[in-house]
Amino acid sequence: MMWIEILSRQREVAARFRITASEVRIGRGYDNDVVIDDPYVAAQHLRVVRRDDGSLVAEDVGSANGTFIDGSKIGLSDFVVDGKQLIRIGQTYLRIRDVNHAVERELIAPPERHVLPIILALVIGVSVLAIDALKIWLTQTSEPRASTYFTPLLTVAGTLLVWVGLWALLCRIFAGRSHFLRNLLIVLVGLAAVSLYNEFAQYAAFAWTWPEGVSYAYVAVWLIFAVVCFGHLREIGRSRLWLKGGLVAAVLVGGIGVQTLQQSEAFTDSGRQLTVHWLMPPMLRAVPVRNKDAFFDKIGSLKGELDADRSQSRPGEPRL
Amino acid sequence: MLQPLRALAMQPCVYLRGGRDLQRLFVGALVRAIGLSLLIAASASDTASAAQGEGSVAERIYAAAPPRLLQIRTLVADAGRQTSNGSGFLVSADGLAITNYHVVSQAALEPDTYRLEYTAADGGQGKVTLLRVDLPNDLALVRIDKKGVPFFAFNQAALEDKLAKGERLYSMGNPLDLGFTIIEGTYNGLTDHTYTDRIHFSGALNPGMSGGPAVTADGNVIGVNVATRRGGQLISFLVPARFAADLLQRASEDARSSDVKPSDIKSDVGRQLVAWRSGLYKSLGEADFRSDALGPYRVPAAQARWFNCWASTNAVDTPKPRASVNSTECSSDTSVFVASDLNIGAININHSLVKTVDLNQFQFATYLVRISQPRLSVGGPFKKWYTPERCHEDFVQAGAAPQHPPLHVVWCAQAYRQFEGLYDVSLIAVTQDQSLEALVSRLNMQAVGYDDAVALGKRFLEAVQVAK
Repeated sequence: MMWIEILSRQREVAARFRITASEVRIGRGYDNDVVIDDPYVAAQHLRVVRRDDGSLVAEDVGSANGTFIDGSKIGLSDFVVDGKQLIRIGQTYLRIRDVNHAVERELIAPPERHVLPIILALVIGVSVLAIDALKIWLTQTSEPRASTYFTPLLTVAGTLLVWVGLWALLCRIFAGRSHFLRNLLIVLVGLAAVSLYNEFAQYAAFAWTWPEGVSYAYVAVWLIFAVVCFGHLREIGRSRLWLKGGLVAAVLVGGIGVQTLQQSEAFTDSGRQLTVHWLMPPMLRAVPVRNKDAFFDKIGSLKGELDADRSQSRPGEPRL
Repeated sequence: MLQPLRALAMQPCVYLRGGRDLQRLFVGALVRAIGLSLLIAASASDTASAAQGEGSVAERIYAAAPPRLLQIRTLVADAGRQTSNGSGFLVSADGLAITNYHVVSQAALEPDTYRLEYTAADGGQGKVTLLRVDLPNDLALVRIDKKGVPFFAFNQAALEDKLAKGERLYSMGNPLDLGFTIIEGTYNGLTDHTYTDRIHFSGALNPGMSGGPAVTADGNVIGVNVATRRGGQLISFLVPARFAADLLQRASEDARSSDVKPSDIKSDVGRQLVAWRSGLYKSLGEADFRSDALGPYRVPAAQARWFNCWASTNAVDTPKPRASVNSTECSSDTSVFVASDLNIGAININHSLVKTVDLNQFQFATYLVRISQPRLSVGGPFKKWYTPERCHEDFVQAGAAPQHPPLHVVWCAQAYRQFEGLYDVSLIAVTQDQSLEALVSRLNMQAVGYDDAVALGKRFLEAVQVAK
């Protein structure tokens, strides 16, 4: 006895035929034991017989398109079937298994749903929203209004749910399970990273007079975005991770490139830096106060840069 | 609707050059010989009834003007049509004439694109050659191809600055290209709070009259029409005649003026600008800063008389502000017309004392962020005139504590693409000694030499102090 399995394009079993005879014929014609509706399959295509030693041998009975195994491009006229091979005839994939084909042990079912990820998601989600709310409160200098809190917070929460929903849907389609909680955790961790980075950059801009962290925040945001996307793609399936990684890296490089180009062009057009010179309560200052001579030495060195800008701005044009 | 006549912040001056766009200003012109019946202006008191008088002073002056009064037009060389016009007047028998720099600036800066022509009030026409410019005083000396012509003489009393307020003046020009006109007005001395001397003339100058002469009853020139104040009534300005006389004098001493290349004038514009600005900042430095009290702080204030100072507060705003801001602002009327799209030279000193009403420390700091951003004010389109801005920020202590508070200082600067040695600088200092009260001090300098800016900036920061 043997089993003939016809697989879908996703390599899932689409049909399975139990064969008790020692020989089976496979093809498009109705005189076969297993009939395959594939126009690229010959009327009589494949024959599988059990040899005296008990092994199964498949034999191409003269098809025009040939028989292939495991993605190889070389057609075979006959070969020994081991049950693991993926056999292609025409555009159809088959697996041929003997009754005593060994199967893996069953997976152990989890005793119950894990509570930890739910708690984790809740904690991170609440902290992300709390950081946002705190930030709104601390930068609120006009009359306090409830809508200044609700509008941005609801926008964040809504966008987050739509985003997670889309990835869960993709997971459901391609991996069979939606992994909603895992996708939610991935994006929450990403959001928390963005929030923390922004706070850190702003603190650094004031306390250490290091404004580059704010100027180049978009690089950090793109990086985090790429890692989050990779995490979602990994949930869909662990196969071909290098391809997914490459795709995400391409998006990352493209995003950073386009934004850098935009900023540099805007700077060329306006001559103004987008940097906001940030202030915080004086007690947060982390660098020592300079004396004014040291400060003005730095200011003096700006002159060289300005003069270089001037000589580059219109080379060859005479000065007034 | 009535316009309140309270003077608010400084209104921009309007130059009196005429252009297709009549919002721009222009200078003006001479008169075509149409004898208008004007007032006898022997004294200020009888003018109203003298409108019908025969042989009025204005009529007599205007009657003598036509061959000496000019409309000076800037033409697009290829198109052969005027793009702007102003006025001018002859000052020598061999065809030298005075007008405003801003009337001829296009031809001075872009001699390949623009050329100059004149139409005299007597109908004569011809080419105009630019000889010399005086950028700070907005004057230009030109030559027309005429010999042995009558010309305007300068008024001796005006050269010696001895005119009395109230003296009747007559100004001529070609307003809005409508034809040569004579208007009457009053001499009101030199304007206050200006670095460059300007005569305050109460008369109706209009675009197109720039460069035209203003004369006394004896027909001698006391000034050159240059600008009006937007938002004022009959507030007009003249360049004092002595600057025109100086320009003429310098030209006659200099043999070069008979053969001037356009490129010489162009490079002269840059040289004059740099020299004039360095003189101005030197005198600002010599005057030093006065120390004024502002809340618990002492702040640097400009001493020079050519600063105009105002105060403002948000105490009466609605809704009630969450931090109180009391500001003083001193600005100088020292900008100079360089090109039709570039007016530079303003200096600005601004101090704001900010106190929290119900903001916490972080909110207060955010509030300060809004009002302490560097603002390089630009006098013209960025891409044409300026290099990109460069900034540096740090915490600075300008002297010994506790008298000198720690400051958060931002310095932003940009260079002028075409003027070697000129920069715009914006310096902002925010005191860091208290968390719920701060002083935001700002020093903006346009068209300043870098070393001058650094020297002034140092003194400015030193002068921000905590009152004992």
